[in-house]
Amino acid sequence: MSGRACAIACLFTIVSLRSADAQTLRWGGDAEGGAPFVEADPRDPSKLVGFDVEIAELIAAKLGRTPQFLQVQFTSLDQSAKRGDFDIGLSGIEDIPARRQSLAASVPYYEFREVLTVRSGDRERYRSLADLKGRRVATLGGTMAYDLLLDAERTHGITAVSYDDDVHPYSDLVLGRVDAVVLDNVLADRAMRRNTGLVTHPEALAVGHYIVITAPENTALRDHVDRILRDAMRDGTLERTFRKWNVWNEDQPALYARLLSGEGTPSTQGTPGTPGTLGTLNNYLPSLLRAAVITLVLSCAAMALAVALGVLIATGRVYGDPVSRLLLTTYVEVMRGTPVLLQLFVIYYGLASVIRLPAFIAALLGLGLNYAAYESEIYRSALEAVPRGQLDAARILGFTRMQTLRLIRAPQAFRLALAPMTNDFVALLKDSSLVSMLTVVELTKQTQIFATNIGSWVIPGLLCAALYLAMSLPLGYLARRLEERWRMPTE
Amino acid sequence: MTRPLDARGVRLKRGSREILRGVDLHANAGELVALMGLSGSGKTTMLRVIAGLEPRDGGEVIAAKVGMVFQFHYLFEHLCAIDNVTLAPIEVIGVSKDDARQRAQQLLDQLGVGHRANALPRELSGGEAQRVAIARALAVDPPLLLLDEPTASLDPARRNDLGEALLQLAESGRALVMTSHDDDFVREFATRVVVLANGEVVEQGDPETVLTSPKHPATRELLQLERARRGVQ
Repeated sequence: MSGRACAIACLFTIVSLRSADAQTLRWGGDAEGGAPFVEADPRDPSKLVGFDVEIAELIAAKLGRTPQFLQVQFTSLDQSAKRGDFDIGLSGIEDIPARRQSLAASVPYYEFREVLTVRSGDRERYRSLADLKGRRVATLGGTMAYDLLLDAERTHGITAVSYDDDVHPYSDLVLGRVDAVVLDNVLADRAMRRNTGLVTHPEALAVGHYIVITAPENTALRDHVDRILRDAMRDGTLERTFRKWNVWNEDQPALYARLLSGEGTPSTQGTPGTPGTLGTLNNYLPSLLRAAVITLVLSCAAMALAVALGVLIATGRVYGDPVSRLLLTTYVEVMRGTPVLLQLFVIYYGLASVIRLPAFIAALLGLGLNYAAYESEIYRSALEAVPRGQLDAARILGFTRMQTLRLIRAPQAFRLALAPMTNDFVALLKDSSLVSMLTVVELTKQTQIFATNIGSWVIPGLLCAALYLAMSLPLGYLARRLEERWRMPTE
Repeated sequence: MTRPLDARGVRLKRGSREILRGVDLHANAGELVALMGLSGSGKTTMLRVIAGLEPRDGGEVIAAKVGMVFQFHYLFEHLCAIDNVTLAPIEVIGVSKDDARQRAQQLLDQLGVGHRANALPRELSGGEAQRVAIARALAVDPPLLLLDEPTASLDPARRNDLGEALLQLAESGRALVMTSHDDDFVREFATRVVVLANGEVVEQGDPETVLTSPKHPATRELLQLERARRGVQ
């Protein structure tokens, strides 16, 4: 998290230095979104291509400025626009009321449909969201489609699964981890080309539009963008661009006709209405609490696994033969020396061809296996901190090695390990936010969704922090009490 | 009748250094044998070899079941005094908890620390901890009791109490072997003294005789150093 924030801060600094140059038009987008929106040119990865790239270039050209791209994570585009990191943002950004309220938004330049994609074998069984009661339906988080699925959770009893990208919903659909994907037709078409065995129902579950965003106070620039887009609709520039990227269809001329005839912005159809901030708070508080429970359950279970495994590893390293000691040391070094995020990806996606673990289990295993390495080091040093003389005394008194470990060494080691273990548990509580990468919606992820939907981090951020503290503070208190009771003499 | 301790020709090397070069040491029931020598003479190592804590490179050790009291006591820090004493009888020998506690309390009482039964090791003074350590060693009823520098952590009054207690243990039929550099204590309480120098026995016999008119230069050096040390104090 902080790494990303840091990277954004660095970019921001670089960009601010350059913004003195009035001739550039800084435009923000997410190149991870890929074709046909924005992607690195396969022939020259230093260049970007895509229809959003061409539209940004068109706008820059008409303004007489040089386009300059700024990479921003898709879910952070709104916040970044508000901060003024870039002049205009476009990257398949959807026209939703919350966005129009908090930012200056252009006229729509493309109309899309939210469509349902299922495995070919389920074509007849799952024709609409109503057919998917009790099933897992995936989409990209922070989108209209996600709101649509949250609504369907209530009305149709489906389970909405949120991803951070638009590739893995479809690959997990192929693997059977989810039973359907709802995303816009542009993304669905792309996924259909990449994956076999999928079918997309043509009916629109909802209709939405892509727009260009600017900082809320920058309505002058927004008005320029509107004029340029309308001109491009009229003279066929947009049509040529969309045809080039194979996304032109009969919905677009109809949209342009409505816009150019002065009918104004067509309203988004079929999506749930967005309640006010207070209503949103009421809607999100229960899901925030649920997410906190998931964080807590996941952390406790992963810690239990880490403690159990850590004890075995530490015992093996202290008492084992040289071969098992070497193997266990290797395990510890590999788990400590590689990012836990990488380990989570490998367990969930990498092993998918061998074993298809449910997301929660994969998350639990990933965190547990990683933390076991840290716990084992704590226990090993705690075991070794029990004075040798006590072990000699035990040996002379006739205790076996197992008895010595169980009755004398382990109980003292546990008291020594308590403080660092508490530290690790609090760290685990926070690291558990990484599992949102595996579609587990825990506290941080739910907060992010909350923040994206209401367009502000203030209230969700404070609530989230309060919930984390509510979980970690009592634990620290309990550990301190136990430590005081068991305080070991300093040797 | 076999002796509780009969060690012959004990050798031990650490790397190229010979720590013990063929040490003979025996102890009969009722004896309190003092093992004396300068630092590095090998006396503590000899105790550890007898206790089976160090592998030896040569010689023979025939020893009865051993109890050992370490210089730094090494009580189990997470258990109170009486639990330190009862742990081995309960877990190793299989004595019932009640019997073990009763016997442990008796031992602690005899050694004058009965009132500290529920104290944790960190709450005990050096002398108290040593008595608890002796009780712990005696709880499994070893015919042979080894003590490493038992007077090191004691003030003079306590030293006397300890000497009386050790003599009682010897009179009750045990063999005791202790290392010590305290010649006054040895003279007063030991029944026999064995002087080690460079891993060899250089002199032994009745403490009064050996310590009053030492024959070997190592013994004389030892006594001089000990007197100098006490003089400084």
